[in-house]
Amino acid sequence: MMSHANESGNTQPAQPLVNIYVGVSAVVLLLMMIVGLVMRLAQGEMLDISPGFFYQLLTVHGAGMVGIAALGSAAIMWYFASRYLDLSRTLFVANLLLFLVGVVMILGSILGGGFAAGWTFLYPLPAKGMGLWGTGAAALFLGGLLLIGTGFLILHLDFARAITRQYGSLGQGLGWPQLFGRDSGEAPPPTVVASTMVTIVNILGITAGAAILVMSLVNLYVPSFTIDPLLAKNLIYFFGHVFINATIYMAIIAVYEILPLYAKRPWKPNKAFLAAWTASTIMVLIVYPHHLLMDFAMPTWMMVMGQVISYTSGLPVLVVTTFGALMLIYRSGMRWDVTSSLLVLSVFGWAAGVIPAIVDATIRVNMVMHNTLWVPGHFHFYLLIGVASMLFGFMHFLGKESVEQEDRWFARWAFWGFMFGSLGFVFMFLYSGANSVPRRFAEHLPQWVPYDQIASAFVAVVVTSVLVFALQFLARLFATRPVALATEVN
Amino acid sequence: MKWMAGGLLLFGILALPPIRHAFEQTMAGHMLLQIPLLVLSGVWIGWGLPAGKRKALQAMNGYGLTGLALVVITALFWMLPRHLDASLEGTAYEIGKFLSLPLLVGIPLQLSWRRLTAIGRGLVWSNLIAMLWVLSWLYLSAPVRVCNNYRIDEQALVGQILLLLGFVIATALTVRAFIPSRPAGVAARPLSPSPDPALRKT
Repeated sequence: MMSHANESGNTQPAQPLVNIYVGVSAVVLLLMMIVGLVMRLAQGEMLDISPGFFYQLLTVHGAGMVGIAALGSAAIMWYFASRYLDLSRTLFVANLLLFLVGVVMILGSILGGGFAAGWTFLYPLPAKGMGLWGTGAAALFLGGLLLIGTGFLILHLDFARAITRQYGSLGQGLGWPQLFGRDSGEAPPPTVVASTMVTIVNILGITAGAAILVMSLVNLYVPSFTIDPLLAKNLIYFFGHVFINATIYMAIIAVYEILPLYAKRPWKPNKAFLAAWTASTIMVLIVYPHHLLMDFAMPTWMMVMGQVISYTSGLPVLVVTTFGALMLIYRSGMRWDVTSSLLVLSVFGWAAGVIPAIVDATIRVNMVMHNTLWVPGHFHFYLLIGVASMLFGFMHFLGKESVEQEDRWFARWAFWGFMFGSLGFVFMFLYSGANSVPRRFAEHLPQWVPYDQIASAFVAVVVTSVLVFALQFLARLFATRPVALATEVN
Repeated sequence: MKWMAGGLLLFGILALPPIRHAFEQTMAGHMLLQIPLLVLSGVWIGWGLPAGKRKALQAMNGYGLTGLALVVITALFWMLPRHLDASLEGTAYEIGKFLSLPLLVGIPLQLSWRRLTAIGRGLVWSNLIAMLWVLSWLYLSAPVRVCNNYRIDEQALVGQILLLLGFVIATALTVRAFIPSRPAGVAARPLSPSPDPALRKT
């Protein structure tokens, strides 16, 4: 649909827009990975940076990765959803522009103003710079986040409008008539179901996020208006958890749309699929208390809910997706190239990454593991090997002339480098965490340094591989026509 | 014309001294009843405006943005507690409140709401919910009385009502989004074929 006239009367092909989204995502992902490498090198005593600068890097890495994962995933969702929904190109551009302005503000606050309170901006830290950063820098950071959130809110409202217009309501976008009634075989395609879920949860999450961001801004300038720290943390993690989880649910659309082209089999939604997405819609909204298991003042029922729902939250969609992907591949004679390999790797990364997450969401375990490197271990597992693989798979797919096009040798090597580098890097995080190495420490004790050095070597391999992916994509943008989606299998 | 008459009648009732005093006795009555009802009177008056007048006003109201800007600026003015205080203490401010809320909030809101795109309306709702929660926090956590004319317990009550109001609106909108606009089983309208080779369905 990208080219037919929509609300804004646009008739131009939208592929270049998606290319810009993906190009920006690739470059920023690479830069943020280099920032990550610098931090690991510093912890491994192979690079000398001040602790203050380390925390600035930690903040820029966290905020940058969350933001760019969302931007790249949104590009995937928009690209494929445009085939089923009448989406506005103008608002897609507006989101990108707001994102870029927000990024400039955040970079200015961190690199110019010295802001280093972490991407989670937990109250009252932004207001307590203790000479390292001022009120202006903190306000710039919070304002940048607010702007980025506004951009995504506009994008998701456009999805809500388009889904309602095309299917009748968000419930129908989730396939409820087919789920709760007779299966007419006319359920919305997986892309629409996933887009509906993301639209619902992200609109709610961003609205809560906007509230706490404005409250924090008021507190910066009128400190006598204090915020209940636990309320602030609840709002921040409700917003943060929903937003970062939504990146998986947006990016997984690449698996639903591209793998069938390789397997030459359709990915049809059935009742189990629809039920799983509806269940995850609810659970992703109520699972966030597992981030607050260390907060003894939280109501017990919320802690229990956080643990129990953590065991089940991602599972429905994960199970139907993993099972669906395996069924799609089994005896299909699927062609394995870098795109299909990355997408299958991403499903593994998501599925396997959930295991350490579930372990950590157990209250008794969390009391020991929460402040160790186990935590970055689990989220890097499903964000790097899961979401980033989906993004790179999609990026590689976009740059190909057809799915039959052979990959160059360096692209194949980059895939293997990315896979083994990422696995090594993530397992070093988990291994360090299991050995009680704390997270968020700028300097490590001598006995922890070898772990950091080994991890740095793995990160270097990942960065090199991603550099190959990014350069190849950018070079292809100017050289080839994009792959044609011969989607008769769907 | 019945809308116009209804709006003027509501305005007249609100302006009656006993009614006015009754609403302004409490902070909740003043903020959450009198002000919204004044806006409502403006909305009804706007509904009843003659076609010629509406057309002239809409000529200056592309996509409803002019009207919305007027609504937001005027509402921001009356959101400041010191202006509520001033309206209780000075006749000029009170007259200003009674005139500005119907004329600069109610009427432009009525003229603009349907002209806004679905995205514009969604943004307004989302922002309203977030701001209701922020205001609720401000009223609940303020270390001092924000209005000299009202007690601190009234201020806290307003904070609690605003919090609840935010949740009620959020819930209502969420439920609304799930109510089908056409019967289940009716197939989605097909999109026109895309000339874009990258996305053409074959």
